[in-house]
Amino acid sequence: MVSKKTKKIITFQETIFNLQNYWSNHGCLILQPYDVEVGAGTFHPATTLRSLGPEKWEAAYVQPSRRPSDGRYGENPNRLQRYYQFQVLIKPSPENIKKIFLDSLSSIGIDKNVHDIRFIEDDWESPTLGAAGLGWEVWCDGMEITQFTYFQQMAGIQCSPVSVELTYGLERICMFVQQKSNVFDILWNKDGTLYKDIYKENEKQFSKYNFELANIEYLFNTFESLEKEAKNLLLNKLPLPAYDHSLKASHVFNILDSRGAISTAQRAGYISRIRDLVKEVGLKWLEEKK
Amino acid sequence: MSEFFLELFTEEMPPSLQNNAKIEFLEILKNFLDEKKISYNKLYYSISTPNRLIFYFKDIVEEFEKKTEEIRGPRVDANKESLEGFLKSKNISKKKIFIKKTPKGEFYFYKIPSIKVSTKKILQENMPFLLQRIKWKKSMKWGNYELSWGRPLKSILCLFNGTSLNFVFYHLKSSNKTFINKDDEIKTRTFKNFLSYKNYFKQAGVIVDDRERKLSIKKNLEKISKAKNFNLNINLKLLDEITNIVEKPKVILCSFDKKFLEIPREVIQLTIENHQKFFPIFNKKNNLLNYFFSVIDKEDKFGLIKKGNESVVDARLTDAEYFWKKNKSQSMLKYVSKLENVNYFNGLGNYLDKTKRLKNLCSVISDELLISKEKLELASTIAKVDLLFDLVNEFPELQGVLGGYFAESQGFEKEVCLAVSEHYLPSGLNSRTPKNNYSIALSLSDKLDALVGFFGLDLVPTSSKDPYALRRMAIGLIKLIIENKKSLKLKEMIDYSCQLYNNQSINFDRKSVHNNLSIFIIDRLKNYMKEKGIRLDIIESSLIDFDLNNIFVIFTKADRLNKIIKKQVGIDLIENYKRAFNILNSETQLQNEDYKGSADPALFKSNFEKDLFKKIHDIRKNFTSINLENDYDSQLSLLASLKKEVENFFDNVIVNDNDVVIKKNRLELLKMLCNTFDKYFNFEKIEFLNEKAGI
Repeated sequence: MVSKKTKKIITFQETIFNLQNYWSNHGCLILQPYDVEVGAGTFHPATTLRSLGPEKWEAAYVQPSRRPSDGRYGENPNRLQRYYQFQVLIKPSPENIKKIFLDSLSSIGIDKNVHDIRFIEDDWESPTLGAAGLGWEVWCDGMEITQFTYFQQMAGIQCSPVSVELTYGLERICMFVQQKSNVFDILWNKDGTLYKDIYKENEKQFSKYNFELANIEYLFNTFESLEKEAKNLLLNKLPLPAYDHSLKASHVFNILDSRGAISTAQRAGYISRIRDLVKEVGLKWLEEKK
Repeated sequence: MSEFFLELFTEEMPPSLQNNAKIEFLEILKNFLDEKKISYNKLYYSISTPNRLIFYFKDIVEEFEKKTEEIRGPRVDANKESLEGFLKSKNISKKKIFIKKTPKGEFYFYKIPSIKVSTKKILQENMPFLLQRIKWKKSMKWGNYELSWGRPLKSILCLFNGTSLNFVFYHLKSSNKTFINKDDEIKTRTFKNFLSYKNYFKQAGVIVDDRERKLSIKKNLEKISKAKNFNLNINLKLLDEITNIVEKPKVILCSFDKKFLEIPREVIQLTIENHQKFFPIFNKKNNLLNYFFSVIDKEDKFGLIKKGNESVVDARLTDAEYFWKKNKSQSMLKYVSKLENVNYFNGLGNYLDKTKRLKNLCSVISDELLISKEKLELASTIAKVDLLFDLVNEFPELQGVLGGYFAESQGFEKEVCLAVSEHYLPSGLNSRTPKNNYSIALSLSDKLDALVGFFGLDLVPTSSKDPYALRRMAIGLIKLIIENKKSLKLKEMIDYSCQLYNNQSINFDRKSVHNNLSIFIIDRLKNYMKEKGIRLDIIESSLIDFDLNNIFVIFTKADRLNKIIKKQVGIDLIENYKRAFNILNSETQLQNEDYKGSADPALFKSNFEKDLFKKIHDIRKNFTSINLENDYDSQLSLLASLKKEVENFFDNVIVNDNDVVIKKNRLELLKMLCNTFDKYFNFEKIEFLNEKAGI
């Protein structure tokens, strides 16, 4: 039964705790965010690299995700250039994963009995990762709250067995559950600290950097150096450090993109350079593990 | 007589895959039954929900007869072992076989007696193979399984005559059970027949038949619209899609803040329809209202779903509004130079280069269309600027349209705004064609520049691939010309376009661009005419003397002839031509002589020849008169009006006169007749379908 007055508000940090507990109870390792800038939780090696190969793997973690071109100087109530994803990766995908996922929603304040939960076709593809999967956007009353994907390919390699990836959009979920129309008004903890108290300034400064001040020449040079470094590491059979450098290159590319420095024509070229690195990382990772 | 009922339960199957599998597998089952000569009631069907694909046949015979069949064994003179092997493989004794002579020698034969086979058994054996035959446009694997399916297949319920039809398909075993709740794959229920299945789900609120579901949604949408005096304009594609993503549809009416109506209506509509799959609502004057319908899959007991739906639309429109406000205050003229940073296509320069070319092309067209050069150049200058704006980034489908809105809000003249707005139109065979001269000119330049550019790079579409949508561009070009009745110097414009590329140091082989593009446009024109229902032989004839500058005339002549060809005037016309042409043709081949169409009246022997000659002269005179220049219907009647003279001629004059000179003169007269027809177009390929027309 829902009565708005008595229903206690689930804070942003509780949402994370609850998801961590829920997935921990379902056997997942609870990991920490990866310490390199990434565009999505998928880029964490616990997803990309661990989804390769035959071993069982179950992990969940929060991942701050950076999308420079989504920045709005903190002025837009729905967009951020840095936000949080809660990521679950399970290999092989369990038989009843859909039900396990639906049950997780009640732990974060979404009662599937009174909300319209829908699975809308969304086949996912990441050109930079050489990855593709089939699945859905999960909608709650028309809002996308989670991405539900069965990986078919990663780093250009066919996935076998198949992993399932669940990506919860934490800000969206909290806005929905806390009934806020502005992301900056999300209640972070019980003491009344808001999202904006922590991140508003961050959004302003990074938007300014991403759109106006990022040094294009420096970044183009950095991209080249990072790529070179990654290639050298691959030659030396060190796929993990090579992967870090590929991720960094990918982030540099994203900043250049948001800076408007990359033309449509160049775009595909840069993406394929990153993909080539990631593919090589994937192959070497599988080799080195043996 | 039995019913066959199959339910394939999956995780949510996307609408397009659902539809394909529904149609395809029904066909596979039907073909299988037909092939095995198993009879069934013709009222068979397949239906679906997002999670259930259901196939149903009734009145299937329980047993069918497998006819006798003779099987050839080894040769009579073969060794013993091979005979023994044969007997063993068929599990029969030597008594059952007999010897028969064939052209290849004497062989042992075995005649399998006719037997009764159980339909259930044969279905049971074959179901796995049949299921395997579904071709998914996209398929996936999951878990550790080998099966590849549209979405994870979780259970197979299969009944025949009230009991389960048991088979194994990969890791799954069929049964008479299915999951009763789509979201909880635990509780199952056993079913005895299709009726009890349908009834069970009905009382659970699930409409398993998508046709019923669609109807129910439509009815509810219409009911509320009627009560509220709304105009709905149901988007049928959206209705189909929504039908296939819900199982217990309910329609609710939602609204958004009126202030958003200041955002371009296309943005709102796209947000509501494409992004959120809601139905936009209009008033009786067809203005967009701040309401929409949402089809939900659950009872909205506490109004939470409605609230959620509304806040999503609100969030999306807030985002759009932010960009709209920001972009509309960015001066388009100031942004033109920034187009330099946007690549148009590798080898064809950037969008500033393109803009410059468009401006020049437009100035030529403005002369032809007698419209203001300044206005058109202005429109072409700002046409591509919206590509730099965030709102177009967010809604790429609305390029051009949004440019029109920006231009309007910045005070550009109405025709300039309209031209910018419509310059991507028409975007296909069924797309709207702009009517305003400024729009026509800009759209035409845009398409011509693209066609010339891509043909210049030799990136010509292949039979299966057209990545740069050049077919659509060519069709657009043709529609612009024909539907606006324009005669434009396309040939010269193509040359000029090549020149413009050349001025930017982009060099093409002009001759090959010209030739290849002509052939390409002819092909598209053919298609366009076919779509318009013009007979193939007429199309072919109309294109014999193809001229790029004459597209409108070519089409119109074909179209007018097509309209009358089955009427009396058409029949007369073709008959007149064919009678003359056939004789002329056979004589030409026999004599190997060419006729010029210059008969000498002094050599006429009968009045019939004179009459025909005179009539041809009259017609020729009329044909060239100014009043008939563009009046193709009259031209055709004129040609038909030869009937009496032609009939009299053929009834009374023998062409094949003994005097070679007389004969030649008569053939010249007939040639003259044919030449007159050629003034319309070459009728050689027109088929004379007199009998079929059924006079």
